[in-house]
Amino acid sequence: MSIDHSLRSRARHGGIVPFLFTVFVATIPGCSTKHVTRIEPETVTDLSGRWNDTDSRLVANALIAQSLSGEWIDRYSGTQGGDSPTLIVGTFHNRTSEHIAVNTFVRELELAYVNSGAVGVVASPAEREEIRSEREDQQEFARADSRARLGQELGANFILQGELQSIEDEETTTRFGLRRKEKVVFYQIDARIIDLETNLVVWAGQHEIKKYIERKPLGL
Amino acid sequence: MRRMLLLLATATLVSCVPKKVHEEPILENDDRVEDSSGAVQAAAVRSERARQEAAAERDALKAEALATCQAEICDAVVRGELAIGMTETQVLAATGTTGSAWSVRHAGESTIMMPTSATQAPTDIVGDVAVVQLAANQVSRYAYREPQGVRVVNSPADASTEGRAAAMAETLIREGDDLAARGEFDGALNRYDRASILTPGDPMVDYKIAAALDKALRPIEAEIQYRLFLHRLDLELIEARGEAAAELAEAIALAQQRIIILERQSTVQDQ
Repeated sequence: MSIDHSLRSRARHGGIVPFLFTVFVATIPGCSTKHVTRIEPETVTDLSGRWNDTDSRLVANALIAQSLSGEWIDRYSGTQGGDSPTLIVGTFHNRTSEHIAVNTFVRELELAYVNSGAVGVVASPAEREEIRSEREDQQEFARADSRARLGQELGANFILQGELQSIEDEETTTRFGLRRKEKVVFYQIDARIIDLETNLVVWAGQHEIKKYIERKPLGL
Repeated sequence: MRRMLLLLATATLVSCVPKKVHEEPILENDDRVEDSSGAVQAAAVRSERARQEAAAERDALKAEALATCQAEICDAVVRGELAIGMTETQVLAATGTTGSAWSVRHAGESTIMMPTSATQAPTDIVGDVAVVQLAANQVSRYAYREPQGVRVVNSPADASTEGRAAAMAETLIREGDDLAARGEFDGALNRYDRASILTPGDPMVDYKIAAALDKALRPIEAEIQYRLFLHRLDLELIEARGEAAAELAEAIALAQQRIIILERQSTVQDQ
């Protein structure tokens, strides 16, 4: 059936207006323009209400402030002649229903420890494997005076571990045929620093985030 | 009636109103969340100051410790190992600590140095130091906290590798005895085996291994172990020791007895 025939048929049956309206509506998305701007990473940009960079930053800030001001560093340094404790970053378990990139704030935490100089950080098991492989390679191929020596690794005194948990509560109400959706999400992030020899928890930190997400129909 | 209807209508309306959360937001879109550089900077300044102070104190202690020491004590300070005869300053230098790591108590001629933190004890090259005792300002004994318990060093011989091995073996034998008393012969064997590595040729350990195997109903291995025990013994030497060897003499008699029984049992089983 040709378009011309279809138009004439619709005109005969008085359906041309809805048809044109449909074509118009279908064209609108194609005409929309893409607009990308660079914005400050510190800016809060909540779009969907799910976990985002702002939450990650809030958690990192809170855990950095709590752990660096914790007494565990002074206690260790005081008994070890002023030496800084060394730490290995362990696993942060995501026990929420969302996909959360945990490493964003874990890396920020690691960065803070290294830059502050208050806590030494040793490489993770995966990183160590690569480094060891390189070191072994050097023993065979590098000039003697430039070889990295074996058996000089530093063992960590402590391990940092943690977990994320969330509780969700939501409700959908309909008034005058319009659906209104409300949701509350509560995130609890726990971090602990544990003595690797004794299993003693020397520091425990926590940060909580509560979000209220409201979806109003037609912006009402 | 009208009032009643109005009341009903109001009640219905109230129940239909959605639950509303009345809380002031603490963070909204376009707000800013600062990074943690301020906290990191403050921690960096604090830790650097603390490190410099501790390093200065530690260096001063080391210099003082090395200026007044005898040859062997100097070597121990440089190695970072405690030794009998050290002064309080030399103990600090050997453990790389400052006064804040220790709680010092004086009682007459005696001084006791205890770690201020039980979980973060000062360490020397050998291990975690549990206590240091000084008499007339010289270390008379000290102890290490080890996985098997506290090991006391009373003399230079105790501090040697052999002395340490003997102390560890003794602790393992004690653990093995406890397990054997509870009827856990596999655990007891494990401890005795470890002890026999630390003090090879100790006939009493051989006997304990044999007895544990015997009780664990492993007759063939037990018989071999009893024979090994008797073979290793220098019977003349045992006799020369007189009463001091009474315990071993009893063990010898028991071993010989058990060998005969085990041999008979195996013969009966073969028939």
